[in-house]
Amino acid sequence: MPEPAELEAMLSALAGRIDWPETPQLKVVIPRHAAVLRLRPRFQARWAMAAVAVLVILATLLAYTPTRTAIADWLNLHINIRRTTALPTPSPLPSGALGSNLGLGKQTTLDGAQASVKWHVLVPGQLGQPDAVYLQLPPDGPSGGEVSLVYATSPGIPVSSETGVAVLVTEARGQVNEQFFGKTLNDATTIEPVTVNGHRGWWISGQPHNFVFIASDGTARYETLRLATNTLVIDDGGTIVRIEGHMTKAQALQIAGTLV
Amino acid sequence: MEGRPADEAELLARAQRGDQGAFEEIVQRYQQVAFRVAYVITGSAAEAEDAAQEGMFKAYRALHTFRTGAEPRPWLLRIVANEARNRARSAGRRQHLHLRLAEDFRPGDAAPSPEAAVLAADEGQRLMALVNDLSDDDRLVITSRYLLQLSGEETAATLGIPEGTVKSRLSRALERLRRRVEERMNA
Repeated sequence: MPEPAELEAMLSALAGRIDWPETPQLKVVIPRHAAVLRLRPRFQARWAMAAVAVLVILATLLAYTPTRTAIADWLNLHINIRRTTALPTPSPLPSGALGSNLGLGKQTTLDGAQASVKWHVLVPGQLGQPDAVYLQLPPDGPSGGEVSLVYATSPGIPVSSETGVAVLVTEARGQVNEQFFGKTLNDATTIEPVTVNGHRGWWISGQPHNFVFIASDGTARYETLRLATNTLVIDDGGTIVRIEGHMTKAQALQIAGTLV
Repeated sequence: MEGRPADEAELLARAQRGDQGAFEEIVQRYQQVAFRVAYVITGSAAEAEDAAQEGMFKAYRALHTFRTGAEPRPWLLRIVANEARNRARSAGRRQHLHLRLAEDFRPGDAAPSPEAAVLAADEGQRLMALVNDLSDDDRLVITSRYLLQLSGEETAATLGIPEGTVKSRLSRALERLRRRVEERMNA
């Protein structure tokens, strides 16, 4: 049996002998006006047409109530919703630094937050650099820490009169277990599964609610959604991203689609 | 990894300032490793090409998120690997990666590397077969670290896990591979 170091040497020796497929010439064409064009228009058009066809079919099916109910039953969407009469209310505090009244932890910078956690902090490219960044480490924050990106403005999204925040993006390592997706909803709040760049997500619209996820140490983490408004939750490969703001589902999905 | 030209961070900084030629140079320099990372994740050359190209596109759009002073390669590989994982996930299941050794290499060929000289051809083929038979997680971490020769940070970026997890996962994968080598030797 080879010693570990010997096995590592044998594996390293294979590196130069792999018969890799030929590397293609990647084509990323950047036009003068700084937008980037992707090639393969035929490929893109084919998928775009397929997506439109699927959306039309889905819209037709969902417009018919019995079909909508059947689909919801089939997807087992009802099991995670609890309805209550008492709802938590956010408590905006006197003015200070943007987001300082939201209980997001210690204010820092994007670099500072990134240096303090072991996972990659995702930033929505559409929104760009956040106006304020907060970091919450254990024991107050979840295992692995939690980073919040606060945006004062975003085109087309109103600023909350209570908090002065337009969009809040909160991230932590963990997973969404739908069995523990203990949402506290009122009758006007809905939850809808979505997919963003292949990642599972949930669009939560309506009134104030709590959010539960399983932190990286396996413990359940109960949190209040700070802006108490529409929220998109995404499980981005083990990073739970919450995007809160007075925005439409389309706006939220568009922002989430630019997370990198 | 060590030994790369020191001006890659500068290239990225120039790209951040709007120098499109600098970004095109980055694409040229990284396209091979980006494509191979995508290939080991998707198991398909066609999917890997699409993932690498789309990843480069997303990297360009995300240039503003790159931290000055950071290593460009892990940042870029992370974006490409994410794209590759998304594509593999969308496809329903990952195609099983089956790496092969180049047939034109034989011990005694002119100027093999010192490490390559350690291996006889049959030993290499047998070890490659055992690596191919590992579980997806074990194969991916071993392939990234040894066959792609990625650093720990780059491997973490490729796998989408913390660097500390790479070490523990790699240690367990190597131990399982050692046992299989031993079983094969005793068979």
